Amino acid sequence: MAGEKLDTVAIVEEKDDSPKIKNLSDFWTFLKKELKPRGNIATPFNLISLPIMILGYIFIVYRLAAGLGKPITNLNQDFPWGLWIGFDVVTGVAFAGGAYVLCFVVYILRAEKYHAIIRATVLNGFLAYLFYAGAIVLDIGRWWNIYNPMIGNSFGVNAVMFLVAWHFFLYMLAELVEFSPTIAEWLGMKRLRKILGSLTLGAVVFGICLSTLHQSGLAALMIMAKNKIHPLWYTEFIPILYFVSSIFAGLSMVIFEGSISHKVFGDQIDEAHHKHYDDILVGLARICSVAMFGYFFLKIILLVHEHAVPYLNSPMGYWFLLEIIGFVLVPCFMFAHGAQQRNTSTIKFAAVITMIGIIINRLNYTFIAYNWYVPLSQKYWPAPMELIITASIILTEIWAFRWIVNRMPVLKEPPAWARKLH
Amino acid sequence: MNRKLIYFLVSIAYLILIAIGLYGVYTVEATLHVKETPVAEPQNKISIAHTEIFGKLERPQVIFDHGKHVEAMKAEGCAACHPVKKDNVISFDFPKKVKGKSKTDAMNAFHDECIECHKKQSSENKKSGPVTCADCHNKKNDKIKIKYPIAEFDFSYHDKHVRKLKEKIGKDDCGQCHHFYSLEEKKLVYKEGTEESCYYCHDLNKKRGPELTAITKVSAEKGLTIKNASHQQCLNCHLKYQKQGDKETGPTECIKCHTGKYKTVEELSKVSRPDRKQKDRIFISVENSKMKGVPFDHKNHEMTSKTCRSCHHETLKACKECHTLTGKPEGNGINLANAYHQVFSEHSCTGCHNKNKQTKECAGCHYAIPVMDVDSLNPKKDTCNTCHSGQKEKYSAAPIPMSSVEKVKKEIEIKVLENEYEPSKFPHLEVIKKLVKISNDNKMATYFHRNAKTLCEGCHHRSNISAEAQQDTPPNCKNCHMVAYDRKNPNKTRLLSAYHRQCVGCHDQMQIKKGSSFNFEEGDRCGACHKKKVGGPAEIITMKNDRVVKQNTTNIINVWHPE
Amino acid sequence: MDRRNFLKIFGSGVATAATGNLLNPAKTNASEDNQATEFYGILVDTTRCIGCRRCEKACAEANGLPVPDIDELTNKSVLEKMRRTSDTQYTIINRYDTEKGPIYVPKRCMHCNQPGCAAACLVKAMRKRPSGHVTWDANCIGCRLCMVSCPFDIPKFEYTKAMPRIQKCNLCYDRYKKGGIPACVEVCPTQVLVFGTRRQILEEGKRRIAADPDKYVNHIYGEYEVGGTSHLYLSSVPFEQIGFRKDLGTVPYPEYSTGFLFAVPFIFVLWPIAMLGINRATKKDDESGHGENHENKEHEKGKH
Repeated sequence: MAGEKLDTVAIVEEKDDSPKIKNLSDFWTFLKKELKPRGNIATPFNLISLPIMILGYIFIVYRLAAGLGKPITNLNQDFPWGLWIGFDVVTGVAFAGGAYVLCFVVYILRAEKYHAIIRATVLNGFLAYLFYAGAIVLDIGRWWNIYNPMIGNSFGVNAVMFLVAWHFFLYMLAELVEFSPTIAEWLGMKRLRKILGSLTLGAVVFGICLSTLHQSGLAALMIMAKNKIHPLWYTEFIPILYFVSSIFAGLSMVIFEGSISHKVFGDQIDEAHHKHYDDILVGLARICSVAMFGYFFLKIILLVHEHAVPYLNSPMGYWFLLEIIGFVLVPCFMFAHGAQQRNTSTIKFAAVITMIGIIINRLNYTFIAYNWYVPLSQKYWPAPMELIITASIILTEIWAFRWIVNRMPVLKEPPAWARKLH
Repeated sequence: MNRKLIYFLVSIAYLILIAIGLYGVYTVEATLHVKETPVAEPQNKISIAHTEIFGKLERPQVIFDHGKHVEAMKAEGCAACHPVKKDNVISFDFPKKVKGKSKTDAMNAFHDECIECHKKQSSENKKSGPVTCADCHNKKNDKIKIKYPIAEFDFSYHDKHVRKLKEKIGKDDCGQCHHFYSLEEKKLVYKEGTEESCYYCHDLNKKRGPELTAITKVSAEKGLTIKNASHQQCLNCHLKYQKQGDKETGPTECIKCHTGKYKTVEELSKVSRPDRKQKDRIFISVENSKMKGVPFDHKNHEMTSKTCRSCHHETLKACKECHTLTGKPEGNGINLANAYHQVFSEHSCTGCHNKNKQTKECAGCHYAIPVMDVDSLNPKKDTCNTCHSGQKEKYSAAPIPMSSVEKVKKEIEIKVLENEYEPSKFPHLEVIKKLVKISNDNKMATYFHRNAKTLCEGCHHRSNISAEAQQDTPPNCKNCHMVAYDRKNPNKTRLLSAYHRQCVGCHDQMQIKKGSSFNFEEGDRCGACHKKKVGGPAEIITMKNDRVVKQNTTNIINVWHPE
Repeated sequence: MDRRNFLKIFGSGVATAATGNLLNPAKTNASEDNQATEFYGILVDTTRCIGCRRCEKACAEANGLPVPDIDELTNKSVLEKMRRTSDTQYTIINRYDTEKGPIYVPKRCMHCNQPGCAAACLVKAMRKRPSGHVTWDANCIGCRLCMVSCPFDIPKFEYTKAMPRIQKCNLCYDRYKKGGIPACVEVCPTQVLVFGTRRQILEEGKRRIAADPDKYVNHIYGEYEVGGTSHLYLSSVPFEQIGFRKDLGTVPYPEYSTGFLFAVPFIFVLWPIAMLGINRATKKDDESGHGENHENKEHEKGKH
C-alpha cells in the first residue's frame, strides 16, 4: 500500500544545489553560513527556553566550581543518586532506545515502511546520548577524572559501570556512523557519503549489541543494591526488565517526537510521507503494545518469583500497582485499541502515558523505592537547581535537534545526487 | 464525542494517582520497626482472641469484662457461663459446649452463648450486654493487650493453706489438693507422703519422662492444662467456703491471685517448708562411685529455693533414682556425675551455684573466672574436696576474719597512663575489706571462700601458686600483661586494657556507679579513677618487628590521603 | 656484571614471574604488604567496649579528620544519639540500650572479603588489597556506585567540596605498610579491638564464645555475612538489637552481578550472527548484488 502511494510521487530532476567543499576554508565559510539562525528568532518557544537555558548554564558552572551538595542538589549519604542519574541518564537512555529498535526493524528485518523516520530517530538517539548521557559529567563528583576508564588509569574490567561507560562511548560512535551519511549529504561530500553509507549495516549490528548490553547494564548497576531497593522492585532479573522496557520506551519517544516534528517541521515533509505517517504510527503502536504486554507479564512472574506479593497491600504496593497497571497495562491496551481503530490520537496519548511510566519506573530504582525505609526527613527529592539544569539540558538538545533538522536532510528528501547514488 | 475532554480527564486522574501514590511512598513507615502494643492493666478483664484456634482474626479481639459479669450474674453463680462437671465441680472454661472442632463451630459457640444470654437478659428487662458485632469486636480493642502475670503459689501460701485447712477440718489432709493419677485404676488417687507439684502432671508444655508422659496425655485429653487445673482446684474450693459464708476464704477475683508480685527467696526464708518427712541432712554417697561422699544440707537448700521444682525438676524423688552412675532412659541418659555437675543446667548443683555467682555481689570477681567445668578444666583436688569431703558431718564454715587481711598494701598507685592522666590511686585494702564483708554475709560464699587468699584470686587471677618461687605475694598485673601491643600475639591483653577491663568490668558487674562504663551522671567517668593532666598526650606503645616503639597520640597522624 | 650473575638474576626474575613469590621467601618477609597471603582484620568484642570514644579521636588524628571532643560530658550527650559514619568520621561508637544493659558498639567499614564497592568501581579506585584493606584511590571519578553497592552504607561522599573524595575507614593502610596497627586498636583501653589475620581473630572469637556461651550469642557477625568480612563482631545480645542487619545473606555482593557479566560475551558473539543471518534471510532475490545500501534502494524504487 505504501509503495503504491510512493509511486504517485513524481520525482523531478533537481538542480544540484549542494555545497562544493574543496578545502578547509570552503568548509568554514559554509559552516559560518549554516550557523546563522534562520527565520524568526523571537518565537514564543525561544523566548521561554532561552532564559531557562542561560540560568541552567550559570548553575552548571556553579556546580562545577562548588561541588555537588546543597543547594545545587539534594543528594545525601543515603541517596547518592538523584534526578541527574535517574532521569537524565537512565531514563534518557531508555528513551533513546527507539534508535536501535527501529534500526533493527529497518536494516535487519528490512521493514521498509519505517524507513521514513529512521534518520530522525537515529538523530534523536544520538543527541539523547550526547546530551543526557553527557549530563553524567555533571553528576560525577570528580568529573576531571572522567576519561580515566577510557585511558586505562586502572581498568575495572569486571565492573558493570566500566561496561556501561565504554558502551555509551562506543554506541555514540556507532550512532554517529549511522547518521553520518546525512551529514555527508549536507556537506555535499559525495565520495564520503558512499563510504559512510556502506558502513551503516556494520554500525547497526554493533549498535544493537551495545544497546542490548547497556540498556540492561544500567539495571545491573542497581543489582548490588539488593537490600536497599524495595522487594517489589528488586529482582535479579532487572536487566531483562530494563531491556524490554527500553523497546517500548524508545518507540513511545519516537511516536511523541515524530508527532511534534511533523507539526513543527511539517513544511519539510512531502505529502506522501505525511499520509504514510499514520501507517508508521499504527505499526509502532502494535510493537509497543506487544512489548508492553510481555513486560507486564514478566513483571507479574517476577512478583511471584521473588515472593513479593505480600508487600502489595502497603503504600509501596499501591505505588507499584499504579506503575504496572496504570502506566503499563492501560497504555498497552490503548496502543492495541488505537492500532486497531487506526486512531492516532489515542496512540499519541498512550505514548505520553508510557513515557511518564518509564520515568516513574526509572526513578523508583534510583531514589523512590531505593532506601525506602529511611525516615521522611532523610529522603531525597530534586532540588530546584537540579530541575533547572535538567530542563536546560533538554532544551539545549531540542535546539540542537532543530538546528540539524532545519539544515540537514533528516526529514526532507536527500539531495538528488544522493538518491541516485548506489 | 469530545475526545480532548476525555484525555484531559484521564490526565487529571493520573496526576491525582501519582500525587497520592508518591505521598504514600514518601511517608511510608518502614515495616522494619513494628511497634509493640503495650500490655494494659488487666482489671479483671480478659482478652478473647484465641489465635491458636482462629489464626489471624477477621475482626478485632473482644475485651471481656469478667468482673462486671460476675457482679451481674451473682444470683445465677458461675454455672451460668461455666460448665459443671460431675460432683458439682465447675470447670472454668468457656463456652460451655463446642459442637465440632472447626473454627466456625468454635466461633458459633462463643456467639451463641454470649448473644443468647444478652438477649435473654434484655427480654427479662434486666441490664444486658451488646448483641451487635462491633459492640464487642471494637476496633479500639486492637490497641489493648491484656496478659495476666502467673500466680505463684509459693511456700508462704502453702503454709497458710496447711494451717487454715487444719483449723477447718481438724487434721492434716493434704489430699484436699494433692492427688495422683493412677494409670491402672484410671482415676485420681491419693497416698500420704507422695505429694508432688501440680506442674509435674499438668504442665503440658514440657517434655517429660515415659511415666509422666502417659499421665500428661490424660491431662491433655481432659483439657487440664496448668491454667485450667489450677483454676478448677483453687476456685472450686474457694467458692465452696464462700458459699458457706466463710469470709476468710481465698479470692475468686482474677487480679487478687494474679498480682504480678512475687516474694523473694529472702522473704520466703522465714516461712517453713512443706513437711514430707524429708531429711534435714543427707550424706550423698553412691556405691561404686569414684568420689568420696558429699554431706548435703537439704534444709539449708530448701530455704534458698523458691520451689521444690528448682532441683527436683520432674518428680520429688532423689536424684539417683533416675540418674544412675551410668545413666538410664528415665534420667534422659544423664548419669549421676553430670546430673550434679552440669554447668549450664538449672537443676544441677554446679549449675545453680554458677547462677548464684552471677548476682551482682558475686559477679564482680566471678564474671572473669571461667565457670568450673569438670570436663574441661582439670580441677584441682582441693576444689573437688570442698564438697566431696567424705565426712558425714558438714563442714562448719567460719567467716574470714578481718584481721587476716590487715597486712596488705593500703593503696596502690597505677601510672600506666602517666602522660595523659594523673596516677590513679587504688584503695587496695578498702576493696579487700568490702569483699570480705560480702563474702561473710553470704552463706554460700562463706562455705566456699575458706580463707582470705581465695578472695585475692578475684583480681590476681590465674596465678599458679605451687609453681611460683615467691609464694608469699600474689603476682602483679605487669608480671604477665605487657605494656606494648603485641602484633604477633594480638589476643594477649596488654597492661592498659588489663587494668581497664578488670576495674571497669568489676564496677559494671557489681553496679558500682563510680567508675562504671554506663554511669554518666557523675560527669567524668574517667575522672572517677584518674584526673586528666592538662595538655598531656597519651603514650602508645606497640611492638614493631620485635622492638618496642613508643609514640604519643598526637604523633599518630599518618595521613592516608591519596590526594 | 659477569655472565653467571646475570643468569642468576635473570633466572630468578623468570621464576618469580612464573610462580609468584614461592621461590623467593626472603622478599616476603621484607615488605609485608604486597606479599600478604592472608586478610587482616579486627575482632570487635562489643561486650568489652566502655564507650570512651578514644578510637574516634585516634582515627581522626591518624586520618587528618576533624578531631572530636571526647570529654566525658560531651560523650554523654553524643552517645544519646544514634550516629552513622560520615565523610568526616570513619568510625563512631553508638550506645544501644538492651535487656543486658547498655552496649557500646564501634561501627566502621567492615572490609568485606569480596567488597561490593570494589566490584562496582570502574577504575579500581576502591580496591581490596592483598592484606585485606579496602582502600580508596584518587583516580576515582566520583560516580558513587560504591555507595549504592555497599550493603553497610559505608562509603561517604564529600558533597560539600568542589574536589570531593570518597571517605571511609581504610583499616589504617598507611600505618599497616609501615608495620603499625590501626590507630583505633592502638588506643583502645579495654582491647575491644583485636587486630590480626582473619584466621587468628576468627579463632579467637570462636574461643571466646565457647569459653563463655552464656555471655555471647553464638554468632560472629561477619564470619559469613556477605561472604565474610574482615571486621568480626561478638555480641551478648542478638545482633539486630545492636543495629546490625540480619537480612544481608551470605552471598558475596559481587556475585549478584556476575550473571549479567557472563551474558556480555555471549551477546557479543550471538547477536551479530543472529542479526546478520536475519538480514540475509530477509533479503529479496531481485535485490541481490546491491549490498547493504538500502537507503538508495528505496529511493530507486520510488523512481520507477
